[in-house]
Amino acid sequence: MKFSFTDDQRLFAEGLRDLLSNECPPSLVRHTWENGVGHAPELWSKLGDMGVLGLLVPESDGGMGSDAVDAVLLFQELGRAAVPGPVLEHMAVGAPALASKHPGVVDGSTVITVHLDDSPYVAHAHVADLIVERDGVRSGFTVTDVHGIDGARRIASVDGGTISTLGDSSRLDGAFDLMALATSAYLIGLGERMIEIAAEYARQREQFGKPIGSFQAVKHLMSDALLKVEFAKAPTYRAAWSLANGEPTASRDVSMAKALASEAAYRSSRGSMQVHGGIGYTWEADLQLFMKKAWALSRAYGDATWHRRRVSSAVLAS
Amino acid sequence: MDLRETPGQAAFRAEAREWLAANVPSEPLPSFDTEAGFTAHRAWERRLADGRWSAVSWPEKYGGRGADYIHWLIFEEEYYRSGAPGRVNQNGIFLLGPTIMEVGTDAQKDRFLPTMASSEIVWAQAWSEPNAGSDLAGIRAKATRDGDDWILNGQKIWASRAVWADWCFGIFRTDPTAERHRGLTFILCPLDLPGITVRPIAQLDGDTGFAEIFFDDVRVPVENTLGGVDKGWHVAMATAGFERGVSLRSPARFTEAANRLVHLWRTYADPSDTALADAVTDAWMQAEGYRLHTYQTVTGMLEGRPIGAEASLNKIFWSEMDVRIHEIALQILGPEAERMEGPFERWVDGFLFSLSGPIYAGTNEIQRNIIADRVLQLPKGM
Repeated sequence: MKFSFTDDQRLFAEGLRDLLSNECPPSLVRHTWENGVGHAPELWSKLGDMGVLGLLVPESDGGMGSDAVDAVLLFQELGRAAVPGPVLEHMAVGAPALASKHPGVVDGSTVITVHLDDSPYVAHAHVADLIVERDGVRSGFTVTDVHGIDGARRIASVDGGTISTLGDSSRLDGAFDLMALATSAYLIGLGERMIEIAAEYARQREQFGKPIGSFQAVKHLMSDALLKVEFAKAPTYRAAWSLANGEPTASRDVSMAKALASEAAYRSSRGSMQVHGGIGYTWEADLQLFMKKAWALSRAYGDATWHRRRVSSAVLAS
Repeated sequence: MDLRETPGQAAFRAEAREWLAANVPSEPLPSFDTEAGFTAHRAWERRLADGRWSAVSWPEKYGGRGADYIHWLIFEEEYYRSGAPGRVNQNGIFLLGPTIMEVGTDAQKDRFLPTMASSEIVWAQAWSEPNAGSDLAGIRAKATRDGDDWILNGQKIWASRAVWADWCFGIFRTDPTAERHRGLTFILCPLDLPGITVRPIAQLDGDTGFAEIFFDDVRVPVENTLGGVDKGWHVAMATAGFERGVSLRSPARFTEAANRLVHLWRTYADPSDTALADAVTDAWMQAEGYRLHTYQTVTGMLEGRPIGAEASLNKIFWSEMDVRIHEIALQILGPEAERMEGPFERWVDGFLFSLSGPIYAGTNEIQRNIIADRVLQLPKGM
């Protein structure tokens, strides 16, 4: 029993954090909203160069051959920076599934998104070359944009094209669960970051002649948000381990993670916005880049209620 | 990361399970907050100690097994699964014991730890005062030096187990000129000395689980000082870290309660009530999440990352979860939740007890302040 990450896993995550603090500031995220692309191609290439995009691709296909435990801290770091575009979809499902036929997924020259649920919309379809779906891979499709809440996760209706089956369909086993896991970890990163942004604001902003962070009402609001985020972490890391090891409880464990992480990120968004007061309700504040991502992702790949019910069916059934 | 038990851990679990199955009393003991119950629980502790199960994480020479924290968590899981009695000496074994090991002298370790492990001496905590609760640094009870003795005067309150306990560990003001956190000293004191009056306080459940302690020129030797004169605040915070963090509230207690809640739901609840099913599932997830969080914390401690102010997060989490588990149980029980004895007594009692959690060991509001100040780095102030 050893519930911790290796030094290598930590160092890789720290390296990614360093890269993202330089290469993915909020101004870049905002830029991808404003230019209508919702994706940052230069950053994408750097993630490819670093090995992040091909992390879960088998070594025989040119990837790093890592597993969900290796990946989970990286998903969290991507969330801390609110990295735009289909990074989770590509990393967790698209690249591992298609690398044998499309080697460009490893360096990111081929971009994959996924459509694994019953949503009428596909996220990131307009920047994707291929869409991994439950029954195969769609190419040559047309995209009709839908105005979504998160400008760095654009959604669209998708029509036409052709669907080809995956040569090795086992590569899609557990795809939905991996997406839900990746999203859980990303949500935790978002939650952490929103709390940090709000704490920084609470140290600076003065009312009644004092920083508002010195008031208990603010302290308690933020402590409660942090509590939710901190207690979503261990279940998310456990879910990664269960997936990586093919545990029989893997789906239940992923659902527990997604339910807790979705609620934690949402709570962080509400608390952080409240701490910002009127500024929190503006387009100008960077907080919105993180909040809207959290609101979109807390529903994507199963919302908290859906996942809690999946835990329910595993736990309450005798 | 490897969340499987090693063969050694599995063998330890099996050994604990086997011993408990053979030794746990078949009928629940009376509450340890009654005189008969206290005696019965002290006898149970003696039996645990004879099997070397009373303090598994302590070094062998003090009555433990030298087990690491992972083994301790495994033992706790088996302990609560077996339905074994509550731990009457928990303030000693889980709070004072680790504190003595951290700051005590070798002589103090030899003197106090073995009798603590065997519960020959049961310990009470004597920290709070009528005017020093959440504001613990406002302590007024004083210890005045007289040769090789301290002379203790003042009043303590909410001293758990003090009605029948043998000794207490208290914090006293030793430098009346010092400001608040400074000038406090951690002193160990027998409760049968001349000048001590213990006045029981009936708790919400009617039992006298805590008490006031009055000190009137009570004389104890200076060698009963733990961790140095005027260093009491530092020592107390080490103790509080254990209390709020992992040691007093191991996750097993809550996973066991959550599993009982699931059983209660299966047996008595209307399965078409999806809101209730969601609530039960949520309680189960909380308990499971706390268990996982604790294994992660403990692995970190074993790898040299000590627990800090995060202990305050644990304290809020387990205390609120415990209330929630019991609230849901009472919801399932409906009219039976009004009845104080009978088949569901444990849930109703447990509900009352759970309500103390957000208050003792530092109220949850104080914990939120600590998190805000020390983890979130927000400015001090109210």
